[in-house]
Amino acid sequence: MAFLELTNIRKQFGQAVAVEDFNLKVDRGEFVSFLGPSGCGKTTTLRMIAGFEIPTVGRVAVDNVDITDKAPNQRNVGMVFQSYALFPNMTVAQNIGFGLRIRRESESAIKERVDEMLALIHLEQKGPSYPSQLSGGQQQRVALARALAIRPQVLLLDEPLSALDAKIRVSLRAEIRAIQRKLGITAIYVTHDQEEALSISDRIVVMSQGHMEQVGTPFEIYNFPQTAFVASFVGTLNTTTAEVVDSARGVLQIDGARLETAEKLDGRQKGDKVTIAIRPERFSFASEQKKANVVDCRIENITFLGSIVRIQVSIGSGKYYMDTFNNPFLELPKIGDKDQVTCSREAVLVLKS
Amino acid sequence: MAPTPNGKVAAVKKKINLWAWFWILLGALYFLVPLYGTFDFSLREKRGVLSLLAYQNVLADPRFRDSFTYSALMALATIVVGLLLIVPTAYWVHLRLPQVRPLIEFITLMPFVVPAIVLVFGLIRIYSGPPLALTNSDPLTNFLLMCGYVILSMPYTYRSVDTGLRAIDVRTLTEAAQSLGAGWFTILFRIIFPNIRAALLSGAFLTFAIVIGEFTLASLLGRPAFGPYLVYMGNNRAYEPAALAIISLALTWAAIGLIQLLSHGRPGQEQVGGVH
Ligand SMILES: Nc1ncnc2c1ncn2[C@@H]1O[C@H](COP(=O)(O)OP(=O)(O)O)[C@@H](O)[C@H]1O
Ligand SMILES: [Mg+2]
Repeated sequence: MAFLELTNIRKQFGQAVAVEDFNLKVDRGEFVSFLGPSGCGKTTTLRMIAGFEIPTVGRVAVDNVDITDKAPNQRNVGMVFQSYALFPNMTVAQNIGFGLRIRRESESAIKERVDEMLALIHLEQKGPSYPSQLSGGQQQRVALARALAIRPQVLLLDEPLSALDAKIRVSLRAEIRAIQRKLGITAIYVTHDQEEALSISDRIVVMSQGHMEQVGTPFEIYNFPQTAFVASFVGTLNTTTAEVVDSARGVLQIDGARLETAEKLDGRQKGDKVTIAIRPERFSFASEQKKANVVDCRIENITFLGSIVRIQVSIGSGKYYMDTFNNPFLELPKIGDKDQVTCSREAVLVLKS
Repeated sequence: MAPTPNGKVAAVKKKINLWAWFWILLGALYFLVPLYGTFDFSLREKRGVLSLLAYQNVLADPRFRDSFTYSALMALATIVVGLLLIVPTAYWVHLRLPQVRPLIEFITLMPFVVPAIVLVFGLIRIYSGPPLALTNSDPLTNFLLMCGYVILSMPYTYRSVDTGLRAIDVRTLTEAAQSLGAGWFTILFRIIFPNIRAALLSGAFLTFAIVIGEFTLASLLGRPAFGPYLVYMGNNRAYEPAALAIISLALTWAAIGLIQLLSHGRPGQEQVGGVH
């Protein structure tokens, strides 16, 4: 039985639909990210779990208890905001202890829990400081500790790292994940950053314009995107329109070049147009032994990205990216060279729309 | 050394500084010269010598002490009631009804449009007979006067509170507190009030200053307030009103200082917004 359950959720603001057809089951201790561009309804969905918005239709249940209409302060949900939202008039320790004080726990129990939380976020010395005396990263760790101190059933994080520098973002996201694992707490993490979602999550819900595009592990989302939206939003991807040549054998053609796919083309007719996608790293230069999916190309551009070299090639009139590992002992082709590239049949993804 | 562009900038800056000082001095003189005149006059009750006789007379007058105490207490009551009314209202408008903000602002400006004399006649007309005959007893008239003061001070209090609320992220702080289990009472008194303290204080100062010197309402409701006493003295004595003006100025500043001191009671709060 799922621990957190969102069933058939729909949320309207006046006539505008912010979220619809949202169904999700999250297991206890799972870390799920909502990923999507700004305005796609991530925050609204999160706020319905927190109780700040009431769904127009649908229900929210935690541990088999329907909490759809419960007030936010009657739920046991921890929330971390992008802007930290620490109480400026309270010290770090008072901030962390706030929820416990409201629950009328004893002073000694509060102190013990606050110390435990300060140790968890490695800010043992900062208890008496005020939020304004801390860096952004430290403030967000305090906000995390404050949300966790009340032992919430679910931890909600709304773009908690967006206001921080790139370096701190990366280290803090690892810290958040480590703490979440350690406590075994169920977490929902909202982000518009695909790299963040891929690196931190057990599962990702990719959203677009108020609905779910795809739900899956980072591995599934990255390697097997099911829609053009997911494919384009997560990672770099070459997409193009191809024509079905032989649906039974999975043969397609793009700009006169012949490509085979391992995916089923059931129900497609010869001459149908389909959208296909190929990750840049699945392309490689063709060696002699390969026979399928070898296509002629011309080198258009070469970009050095550190560990990766991104080569732009043209196949017919279309342009595609191809990533290869940077190998200092291998000679790179030159712009304008004619060459052949290849990819496996499995690398050619046929998208739903 | 050749004149550099930088040198020029520095020279211009110096000039601007001089002008700034000039205006500050002019402003200070504008306020201080009359004050000094009053002070000097207040010392001349005895012909030919400087003396504190006028001050002795004022301080010896029990009506002075009584009326000042009365008005100071009225001011405190006005501050407390006014803030308890206005802070939750302004907070709710910020949180849930931002679209009615212009309307609320307009309402709070009414005391500027409706003169105090009109207000007090309205109050007297409504509350001097049944069903709410408040003017028949002193405590109830005091209450009525305080309500009038709350209205008079509303434009200032509302504006200070509104500025204070704009400076903090009301909505996110509220939601953070809610998710931690806090109810409205806790949010107002443990989160909102402490975080707009500076704004509350400035609202309180203004209210205090208004109530201490207020004449129209107190006089027409027949209450022994400081304002009517000042006017009475002004009409009947020569030197004492000047001494009284100086004393009331000092007392008002002292009272304001006291409010500030009292509300600084919690340790550490001064640091908010300090070192980064
Ligand atoms: N309180 C609200 N009133 C009206 N529209 C809203 C409100 N909150 C969000 N929306 C709309 O709902 C959509 C989804 O918003 P949001 O959930 O904040 O997106 P995200 O967090 O993914 O950027 C947006 O079009 C936004 O304008
Ligand atoms: Mg958002």
